[in-house]
Amino acid sequence: MTKIYDCIIIGAGHNGLVAAAYLARQGKKVLVLERRAIVGGSVVTESFGENFQADSIYAGGTLRPDIIKDLGLDTSEKNTRSTRPPFISLQADGNHLILDAESIKRISEKDAARWPEFVRFMNKAAYILDAAYATIMPRLSTLPRLPMNFGIREGYGLLELGLELRLAGRKDMLNFIRALPMTAQELAEEYFESEIVKAAIASVAIHGSTLGTMSAGTGYTLIHNWLNRGGLANINVGKAGEITQTLANAVKSFGGEIRTEAEVANIKVENQIAKGVVLANGEEISANQILSSADPKHTLLKLVGAQDLPPEFIWHTQSIKMRGSVAKVHLQTNGEHGIPAGTVVLAPSIKYLERAYDAAKYGEISEKPYLEVTTSGNVVSIHFQFAPYQLKTGDWRLDGKKVEKFAIVALSEYFPNLQSLISNSHVITPLDLETTYGLAEGDLNHGQLMLDQFLFMRPIPGWSNHKTPIDNLYLCGSGVHGGGGVSGAAGRNVVKVLK
Amino acid sequence: MEKLRTTPFHERTSALCQPQNWRKWAGYFAAGSYEHTLDREYWAIRNSAALIDVSPLIKYVIKGKDAAALLHRVTTRDIHKMKVGQVAYTGWCDEEGKLIDDGTVTRLEESTFRLTAAEPNLRWLTMNAVGMDVKITEVTDDVAALSFQGPNTRKVLNIVAEKPVDELKYFRMMKNKINGVEVTISRTGYTGDLGYEIWMDAKDALPIWDKLMEVGSDYGIAPVGILAMDMARVEAGLFMLDVDYTSASHAWIEPQKSSPFELGLDWTVALDKPGYFVGRRALEREKREGSTWKMMGLEVDWVGMENIFKQVGLPPQIPGMAVRGSLPIFVGNVQVGYASTSTWSPVLKKYIALAHLQKPYFEIGMDVRMEITVEHHRQHAPAKVVKLPFYEPEWKKK
Repeated sequence: MTKIYDCIIIGAGHNGLVAAAYLARQGKKVLVLERRAIVGGSVVTESFGENFQADSIYAGGTLRPDIIKDLGLDTSEKNTRSTRPPFISLQADGNHLILDAESIKRISEKDAARWPEFVRFMNKAAYILDAAYATIMPRLSTLPRLPMNFGIREGYGLLELGLELRLAGRKDMLNFIRALPMTAQELAEEYFESEIVKAAIASVAIHGSTLGTMSAGTGYTLIHNWLNRGGLANINVGKAGEITQTLANAVKSFGGEIRTEAEVANIKVENQIAKGVVLANGEEISANQILSSADPKHTLLKLVGAQDLPPEFIWHTQSIKMRGSVAKVHLQTNGEHGIPAGTVVLAPSIKYLERAYDAAKYGEISEKPYLEVTTSGNVVSIHFQFAPYQLKTGDWRLDGKKVEKFAIVALSEYFPNLQSLISNSHVITPLDLETTYGLAEGDLNHGQLMLDQFLFMRPIPGWSNHKTPIDNLYLCGSGVHGGGGVSGAAGRNVVKVLK
Repeated sequence: MEKLRTTPFHERTSALCQPQNWRKWAGYFAAGSYEHTLDREYWAIRNSAALIDVSPLIKYVIKGKDAAALLHRVTTRDIHKMKVGQVAYTGWCDEEGKLIDDGTVTRLEESTFRLTAAEPNLRWLTMNAVGMDVKITEVTDDVAALSFQGPNTRKVLNIVAEKPVDELKYFRMMKNKINGVEVTISRTGYTGDLGYEIWMDAKDALPIWDKLMEVGSDYGIAPVGILAMDMARVEAGLFMLDVDYTSASHAWIEPQKSSPFELGLDWTVALDKPGYFVGRRALEREKREGSTWKMMGLEVDWVGMENIFKQVGLPPQIPGMAVRGSLPIFVGNVQVGYASTSTWSPVLKKYIALAHLQKPYFEIGMDVRMEITVEHHRQHAPAKVVKLPFYEPEWKKK
């Protein structure tokens, strides 16, 4: 142990890298430790064979604009909302529907007329959520009295947020609050009459979550995903890896270090104070502060260990709902798949989506799945729901092929030649998400985005300010407030908490 | 409806319990006293040998590679320092450093411990054992226990037990045999006198009781109920859950909770022990900042009592047993605390109480007044704050 770092960041996912970049920019001596040979976490572009490259998990994405600005990341000609790729709902007649005011007209004049108001509200709601995500939540304790460290400082953040929300307008604010616990179905029905439009919108609400379109709280997840994407469609498809590569370069340019193939086996704790980390190879590295962008369960129960944590805290941590049910299927084709560019969803009706989710409830793979398809040249990438991590019967070491089959069968209804064009495939099961990408239980969000796991209840009630019962150990991954999906908010926010 | 259960000694104790003043103790029948007055039982504790059925004590056997680690984490003592055969009295706290319960930890073997408790703690223990290789078994019904207290107990045990107990030191345990049956004997008790606790398989209970009563008859043995023990334990400065403090796990409001420091258990809180234990942070803070409450002894001034009672033409009247009722304590007209248990101490010839006092009134020698009721009128008897215990005979630890 020759070198002592100011900060060690566990995990070179986008949140870890954002935190590292901010801290390195401040002049801190920063070391990022990544288990895999490449940086990026679940925001990564990988090659699965010759001429077979794709965004492994998230199809593209973008960081919050303030992060891009703060860190001076090069984003020339990318991400601009005016050049957004389309969001398309597959139609049996081949006349696929683009979700915009102009195209919706052919389905429903009424819906087309309502479209601008829907987009306006969603943008406003996303703006409000963004403000909430930029506010460190105070430690609203489960104790009958305020925790001793609830200070004026924590209150200020909320006050600012309150002001911000006040300025957002009373009516929109009320509608925002009302929308959070609603089901995606109800929210979509408030605006639209045609099933196709409602279902297409609702599909974005359940994207990445183990929830159905009729589950409470999918109003919230719709706003959440809308915020991260800046609308319905994914942006920067095929360029997920560029985001994290750019971040990694930023970290290095600020003087930070990144070590890959450096798996953290545990966090060294002495008398409830984090002192450093021990790598899987036995190497010990000391640091004044440890930030973990790994999920809270892994960080706390595995890297720290229950023995060093208070009992109530452990119970809550154990109870964090992960339950991932996403699989990815990447298909290498000859390029003549005919799938339009943009974000293409198989979401024919609200009920179809709900039934796809039903399977997950019973530990089954959806035979008629919800699919979100993106293409990158010859490669077709399919986001598959639902493929629950916990299977009632079966084993994810064997069942990846099932997912691939169900996906291809479902898509072949719209693209009959697809099967014959495939030269190679790569399936990422929920188990792969866990073992390869470090997503416990295959949960993309490090903890389901549910109403009882958001704001001051994320990751657990009373501990929403990135801190843990271990001094100098902070959480900065998707599992904390602001996190979930690609945004970098959690990595950005943690820096405000560090002294 | 919940039915009270009987202990393995019930066949004997019920035949002897003349006043039928059964008390409820942790869901079991416990004899309040065996005679109509407490004198003989009390003096058996102090002068000869008292045989007390303490089987209702809740008991756990904690076994496994991480048994020590679990108890180290849950309790405030440094369990890793305990040797096999050692017994440690300890409290255990919630994360806020407030006492949940108290009892003894006995290291029966390297990785086997017995923990006693006043209330069920299985859930708490289990929830603290996450990720540990440990098995927690409640053995309350399987293990019968006798508290054998008083200056003659060593002599009786030396006759009754296979191995002599002369070498058994204070808060140590030994494996032994009585009637050829295996028992463990610990030099522990709840009276502040020389004494032992005998732990045995429930099925062996009656013959062991009979043997002790038979041999003990030459040494003034008496079966003793929990009322006399209650007087002795106040003299010894020992408090009781639900009487002198409320468990943090079911206090309604914060002020009902107590920290180990507030109850004078400073010596049991090993803040220097390595690693996390539940409540560590809060206890460190309290140690640093000082406690706002403290349990102390209170000696009521007898001349003051006489003066008050004289006004109505009576000599001082006090109950003949320990009173488990809260009595306000004043300095001037300000209430500064309360007594949670008060009793006449026959051996000291003093009216004493366990008093909870607010800072700065818990200093030794402080003059305070305790509320008493004289012919239906509230009066304040002068009293002095003293250190605990009130009574500690030189043979207790010898």
